[in-house]
Amino acid sequence: MTSAEVAIERRGGTVIAHLSGEVDMTNAPRVRDELLVSVPNDAMALVVDLDGCRYLDSAAIEVLFDLARRLGRRRQELRLVLPPSSPLVRVLTLTDVQSVAVVHETLDAALAQ
Amino acid sequence: MAWRRAHRYRDEVAIRARQQAVVAELGQRALAGMPLDELIDRAVTQVARELGTDYVSVLELTGDGVGLSIRDGHGLPDGVIGGVLSTTREELPGYALDSEAPLVIEDFATETRFGPSPVQRELGIVSAMAAPIGTRGGRFGVLGVSSRTAHKFSADDAFFVQAIANVVGAAAERARTDEIVRDSEARFRELADTTPALMWMTDAEGSVTYVNEGWLRFTGRTLDEELGGTWSVGAHPDDVERVLQRWHEATARREEFVVEYRLVRRDGSERWVLAQGLPRYDAGEFVGYVGTATDIHERKQMEDALRESEQNWRDLADAAPVMIWTTDERGLVTFVNAGWLDYTGTTLEEELGPSWSLGVHPDDAPAVISSWNEKLAAREPWTLEYRLRGVGGDYRWIVDRGVPRYEAGRFVGYVGTAIDIHERKTMEARLREVYEREHTIAETLQRSLLPERLPRIEGLEIAARYLPAGHGAAVGGDWYDALERADGRVGLVVGDVVGHGLRAAAIMGQLRNAFRAYGLAEASPAEVMARVNRLVMSGEEDAMATVLYLVLDRETGEVTFASAGHPPPLVLAADGARFLEGGRSVPVGAAEPGIFREATAVLPPGASLLLYTDGLVERRDTPLEQRLDELAEAARSGEENLEALCDSVLAGVLGEQVPSDDVALLAVRPRPVATRSLRLSLLAEPESLPGLRRRLGRFLHAVGASAEESYEITLTVCEAAGNAIEHAYGPVDATFDVEASFENGTLVAVVRDRGSWRERRGTHRGRGLKIIEGLMDDVQVSTEQDGTVIRMRRRLAA
Repeated sequence: MTSAEVAIERRGGTVIAHLSGEVDMTNAPRVRDELLVSVPNDAMALVVDLDGCRYLDSAAIEVLFDLARRLGRRRQELRLVLPPSSPLVRVLTLTDVQSVAVVHETLDAALAQ
Repeated sequence: MAWRRAHRYRDEVAIRARQQAVVAELGQRALAGMPLDELIDRAVTQVARELGTDYVSVLELTGDGVGLSIRDGHGLPDGVIGGVLSTTREELPGYALDSEAPLVIEDFATETRFGPSPVQRELGIVSAMAAPIGTRGGRFGVLGVSSRTAHKFSADDAFFVQAIANVVGAAAERARTDEIVRDSEARFRELADTTPALMWMTDAEGSVTYVNEGWLRFTGRTLDEELGGTWSVGAHPDDVERVLQRWHEATARREEFVVEYRLVRRDGSERWVLAQGLPRYDAGEFVGYVGTATDIHERKQMEDALRESEQNWRDLADAAPVMIWTTDERGLVTFVNAGWLDYTGTTLEEELGPSWSLGVHPDDAPAVISSWNEKLAAREPWTLEYRLRGVGGDYRWIVDRGVPRYEAGRFVGYVGTAIDIHERKTMEARLREVYEREHTIAETLQRSLLPERLPRIEGLEIAARYLPAGHGAAVGGDWYDALERADGRVGLVVGDVVGHGLRAAAIMGQLRNAFRAYGLAEASPAEVMARVNRLVMSGEEDAMATVLYLVLDRETGEVTFASAGHPPPLVLAADGARFLEGGRSVPVGAAEPGIFREATAVLPPGASLLLYTDGLVERRDTPLEQRLDELAEAARSGEENLEALCDSVLAGVLGEQVPSDDVALLAVRPRPVATRSLRLSLLAEPESLPGLRRRLGRFLHAVGASAEESYEITLTVCEAAGNAIEHAYGPVDATFDVEASFENGTLVAVVRDRGSWRERRGTHRGRGLKIIEGLMDDVQVSTEQDGTVIRMRRRLAA
């Protein structure tokens, strides 16, 4: 079983989603739905914290692109948190996730923006 | 071929489960006493259906042992059944008869050990299997499977055919035993009613349920007057208390019952009798005592009379219907009476003096002489049962008893009496034989239902022990099992059916099967337990069992377990031994709906896990906590090697003693990957990916990849696998293969599917290929005969 957890936190106009565990093609649709419903219309931005994430595959990365697209239509912003030491860094670079979401090294940096 | 391979993986699991079910069902029918002909008929039909072959036959060794008669068959042309084949080892049937394992012949054309039988030759058989059918007493025959077209039989198929053959063998054995039982019961009644001995039986509570004609003649009472009472019936008022005390002592320990007492007859006269009884068992359950009583009145009188006058005594002795002797103070025979001489056919001269071994059966003579010398030296009473040669040359069992006698306070020798107890003795032996056979059938069946070989599970060391309870006790319903689940975890089960004997063994078979079926599905241990409970509660049998079901993740060491009234599993790690508590609930079969809990724990790296049944730790005289401590201590000081660990745990906990209940012990230890290559065949479905990731993770860790490398390589291989899954060829049960190897600092991974390469739907697939190409040094996609192959290489930094 692939298991991921989404913990939602709200700070002012920003929703923070701490995504932990593993996301692959078996649970990506569920993770996407959980993230989407966590963002109310009045929120300014969604910060997805990938610090606790151990595994993302291309289906999970597609979820990030999809999120950015949907949030963009509502004029909401997607930001990602990923420490430089994370093994996921190279994959996010390769797939050009930076083109749809700014990637911050820490949660504080993402909130300070 | 592509179709066959595509279906192989899931089918293998399903077929194995179904074959197990067929074996268990046939075993239960055998236990339920299905006539042997019907059972064999069912066996051949079921084997033909399971394996889908043209012909199945059961051959039985002929009475003279020189031929194999075709007893039954499926699909055979008219006139073949009833024919007799040769037992020559030049042909398959004869060869199989002497073999110890099933034989698989892919093609007779390339088989060098033997040829087909004439019947097989005539039918144009190409492929075949044959399994010996054995019984405890020896060989029964052969179970044969034949196909006119080339047929590939798997190791599981061979195991299945052997298991069916084992059941047929056990049933044949049982049929034979049933005959002996029926025969011996008839003989028992006949013997009992014609023997001069007095015979009786009781039920488990001690009420008298049967006395023979001889008894009624002796007491002068009617059957109604004798039955239903306990042992005090008919005893002299002065003896009642002593008789009852002996009786309770013996029955409490299921021991032989021996007592001398005065029996009061209907007419008021008293006779001294010697009553002796043995516990009897039916299907392993204690059902009461069977015994005899012997008139020892003369002997008693003799002993009394001798105290008065020697001459009077000799006259009396010669007229007595028993055998009588005396010795002097050195133990030399000074007199034997006419009864003795009539029995042995010897003369008085021959018998006098140091004649202690005269006419005694050679096997019994040493015991006679040594026990006699011992008692004589101590001047104690001497009693022994032994075989003495009669006048016709036949040996018959007698009970010989001597008591020291004194004249004016001075020891002058012994006076003894002997009674012919041959009927009683042979009847006892026959009864014991019948009950022991029952015991061994149950044990055979139980063993045939236990896994003969534990499955070889990659990444897991495994060892098991099964100790049946001590000699003469009824077998229990203990079992253990291990199976690899679809999610890559391993299911382990150890259980103990309440009760003993054939019934417990049959229920054990059902439960083991249920855990196999439900355990393969992706259910939590508590859920598996609840389903098995529902099955048991809905059955007709009033069954109950304690079970521990545990699921182990070899990669992470995580265990989830549910204990239905079962003792806790033991974890043995570098820093000591501890029991896994929690996850406890009532036994299976105790309540519906049963509430089953589960608990989770993580095994430290290198730790072992011990599962066992309570026969190992339960002992009446010791509190359970103390026994568990002893188990932990024995495990702690045990060997590193699992097989040796099992042996030292059994030795440490049980010592020299034979267990009074069955003991099952299962030990496992997740083993780090040692090889430099990985080879997997997986179902083409998304649920295979988590397991694949863990195995790759273990492998990459073992070859020294960094966390980043490990993630990136795992991701690329899984992306390729994801593609194979999305484009799986054909029906739902397709599979794909993954190989990984590490040589000269380079990792090579190959993903092979059976579809044609296509980009997956949606844009993220484009990203998938981008990931594969971006993270690997070299990627080649090629289309081969039956599918697509992706080869990837990456040089590792370290």
